[in-house]
Amino acid sequence: MMRSLFLALTVAVIAMAVFGSATEGFRVFTTEGARRYAVEQAPHQLPAVTLEDQDGRSFSLDSLQGRVVLIEFIYTRCPTVCSALGDVFARLARALPGTVLLSISFDIEHDGRAELRRYADSHGADGDEWRVARPVHGQDLGPLLDGAGVVVIADGWGGYQHNAAVHLLDRHGRLVRILDFDPLSVLIDEVTPWLKS
Amino acid sequence: MVTHPDLVPTLGARRAVIAYLAVFGAVLLLMMALGLLMRLNQGALVTLPPEIFYQSMTVHGTGMVGVASIGGAAVLWYFLGRYVRLTTWVFVLNLLTFTVGAAMILFADFVGGFAAAWTFLFPLPAKAGGQWEQWAAMVHLGGLLLIGTGFLLFHLDTARAILGRYGSLTRALGWPSLFGNDPEPPPPTIVASTMVLIVNTMGLVFGASVLVISLINLVVPQFTIDALIAKNMIYFFGHVFINATIYMAVIVVYELLPEYTGRPWKPNRPFLAAWTLSTVLVMVAYPHHLLMDFGMPHWLLILGQIVSYVSGLPILVVTAFGALMIVYRSGLRWDLAAGLLFIGVFGWAAGVVPAIIDATIIVNSVMHNTLWVPGHFHTYLLLGQVAMVLGFVAWTGKTRASQLFNALAFWIFVAGGIGLTQSFLYAGRLGIPRRFAEYLPEWIGQARIGAFSAALVVIGTVMLVGPLFIRLNRAMAVR
Amino acid sequence: MAEILNLIPSFRRIAMGAGLFLVLAAPSLREVLEQDMTRHMLIQLPFLVLAGWLLIPAAAASCRFVVIWDRFGIAGILTANLAAAYWMLPRSLDNAIALPVFEIAKFISLPLLVGVPLGCCWPRMPMLGKGFVMANVVSMLGIAGWLYLAAPVRVCVFYLSDQQEAVGRLLLCLAGAISLAVLFCAFVGFRPSAARTA
Ligand code: HEM
Repeated sequence: MMRSLFLALTVAVIAMAVFGSATEGFRVFTTEGARRYAVEQAPHQLPAVTLEDQDGRSFSLDSLQGRVVLIEFIYTRCPTVCSALGDVFARLARALPGTVLLSISFDIEHDGRAELRRYADSHGADGDEWRVARPVHGQDLGPLLDGAGVVVIADGWGGYQHNAAVHLLDRHGRLVRILDFDPLSVLIDEVTPWLKS
Repeated sequence: MVTHPDLVPTLGARRAVIAYLAVFGAVLLLMMALGLLMRLNQGALVTLPPEIFYQSMTVHGTGMVGVASIGGAAVLWYFLGRYVRLTTWVFVLNLLTFTVGAAMILFADFVGGFAAAWTFLFPLPAKAGGQWEQWAAMVHLGGLLLIGTGFLLFHLDTARAILGRYGSLTRALGWPSLFGNDPEPPPPTIVASTMVLIVNTMGLVFGASVLVISLINLVVPQFTIDALIAKNMIYFFGHVFINATIYMAVIVVYELLPEYTGRPWKPNRPFLAAWTLSTVLVMVAYPHHLLMDFGMPHWLLILGQIVSYVSGLPILVVTAFGALMIVYRSGLRWDLAAGLLFIGVFGWAAGVVPAIIDATIIVNSVMHNTLWVPGHFHTYLLLGQVAMVLGFVAWTGKTRASQLFNALAFWIFVAGGIGLTQSFLYAGRLGIPRRFAEYLPEWIGQARIGAFSAALVVIGTVMLVGPLFIRLNRAMAVR
Repeated sequence: MAEILNLIPSFRRIAMGAGLFLVLAAPSLREVLEQDMTRHMLIQLPFLVLAGWLLIPAAAASCRFVVIWDRFGIAGILTANLAAAYWMLPRSLDNAIALPVFEIAKFISLPLLVGVPLGCCWPRMPMLGKGFVMANVVSMLGIAGWLYLAAPVRVCVFYLSDQQEAVGRLLLCLAGAISLAVLFCAFVGFRPSAARTA
């Protein structure tokens, strides 16, 4: 009996250790949670890809250094989450003047300048403080999404499902937080301190 | 088939039963004191801050349901042990988990301020409105989960023992005699224990699920559950569990009345049919509530509610009738235990009448949130279930206390019990709401009568369980 | 179920287990099963466990070593439960798809740390323990099903939200089916011999 109890105890201890490391100390249970936790613990630079916005202007991601940037990943045909994200950005533009808002489309097959323009117009992106953009080079898309930890999967209806979140870059261009867009007030509270520093 | 008791409980088993009864007595008195306090507050005889009232109500409701189960479990285990081999350590473990769980609940409620009532209806535990911290809700729910785990093991052990002897639940419920012509049905204790283990295991599985879900909801508020489904699950568990306490306690009637009268209680067809019917009714009444629908269909609600109230009726009828038949012209020599058992059956019957009135839809829409509800369940729990367990306590002791003392204890308890329950029922008829801490001036009268009666109940109970503690004390001293 | 499996002669069982494992490991079937959350969770994972269960000879349950180190099946059931729980974490499931290391770990750990211990310990567990495990399995399946249905977001980044809902519903159905099966067994009857060994 003692040997069995000892073995059971050993198993329990090992399992605790494994679970602890698999959940970052019982903090995260999903890949999404892990992605957010990792960014919080160790902020990192996104690859300096070249983007082009709804007005056809090209710019590099690191040209935005010095400003606080909020990024969302979208595709313009998206009927659900992305249009909610669009609304969130519209309200953020009003609530947090001084931040750069960037909606990046990952659907580069379909989203050309015209589509970006339409999305920008329908949500009120001014092209200045809030730009709707896409990577110029197809091969940049993968590294950009990987850098942010975004996974895009086809939904079988011609659309996509993807992690819906707001990605916060600090003034050094480092990805420092990945935040929920709902509730909005919490999001604003999370971003505000970064504007001051 | 085994019809006659053939096993003698070991010394350890009997000690364990006495330990159960001691915990039963102590917690019962504590909870009764809280009940008295609430009644006093409602009668404006003492003034409690409202949060203390609701904490007390939560502790009283939860604690009483738990203590009734502990008393019932003691009865069931003691008598079931006459027929099948049970495991003492599982029985003792259940008492330990109960004690620890009860301590957690007391701490969470009185120190942590948790006061979401014994029904912990979702999402109330998470919506404290500043009354309690999250940890208090978690400790309270965790305590419930612990107690539930203990009872699950307890029933599984009875299942193991019964199946080991009878092979299947159908045989343990006496179906070969009910539907065939097996002349030797299992004894009533086996039938009752089997019914309880079936419904309670189901209830506990659902109860545990909804508890864990509520706990998860506390930690991660984004995970919400449909409140209606949660309510159904909680009520399935709660209703089954509290009803089962009566079905456990009634075993003492089946075992002791034959001893007193020398007439065996042999289950006949109606008896077996009643127990099977109630098993099935309790089980089919509730899956109806569990459909993953957002709105509950109206007719289902109506059906379910009637069925759930009526589900106990068949057993009540065969028990009351059987008890009368056994006692009738038997030359029974009444003593304290016999009297309490008799009152128990009477109180159970008396409580079911208002319950059925309440289950009638037209009345229900008017009565349901009035004191009518506490009125009926206090009748069949206090004067029914608790009286039966107290009868068992008296029987195990065969107290050397004087006849007069016993008679006094008995009548004080009964008079107080009737007064208390009548005060609730009367208040219900006037439409006085339940779960109100403070009353309008015109409601106070009945609350004072209730408080006075409650004091009598407390005194009577002290006199009834007191000898048990004196005996315990002596036993300790001798050792 | 367990009894039926034990009737098959050992070498046939082992061959079946190994065969099942190889079939599951075949790249094309792996891809098909992992494409969909339901197939991944409710077909691939359980079958990997089954493969492990088949792989050990029935006699292993009563060999001296196992009996000494795994009294009442405590250590075995604990190992099986915890290893299975690991693969119930949404993150683990995602990792198995994204990273080959995790995929290999899954193919090794499910047969070896869940199937084998289960096969070794289940026949020796007392009925009290079996009942307790079953009751827990039913409520855990119920809870997991509800979690998948109630989750405000997708819990796995590699699976669509409607697949997640389907899994949730199926888990609830599974919980119901297991309860019914257990009730049925208990009503129709255990062989008293099996119950008495407990
Ligand atoms: C001296 C005996 C007792 C007294 C004075 C007493 C008093 C009370 C009072 C005043 C309430 C609150 C009524 C309201 O306004 O809604 C209550 C509720 C309750 N009582 Fe008792 N009671 C006694 C015995 C019992 C017993 C023996 C049981 C069960 C075995 C029990 C179970 C309950 C339950 C379940 C509630 C419902 C709590 C809730 O609404 O959440 N009581 N009792």
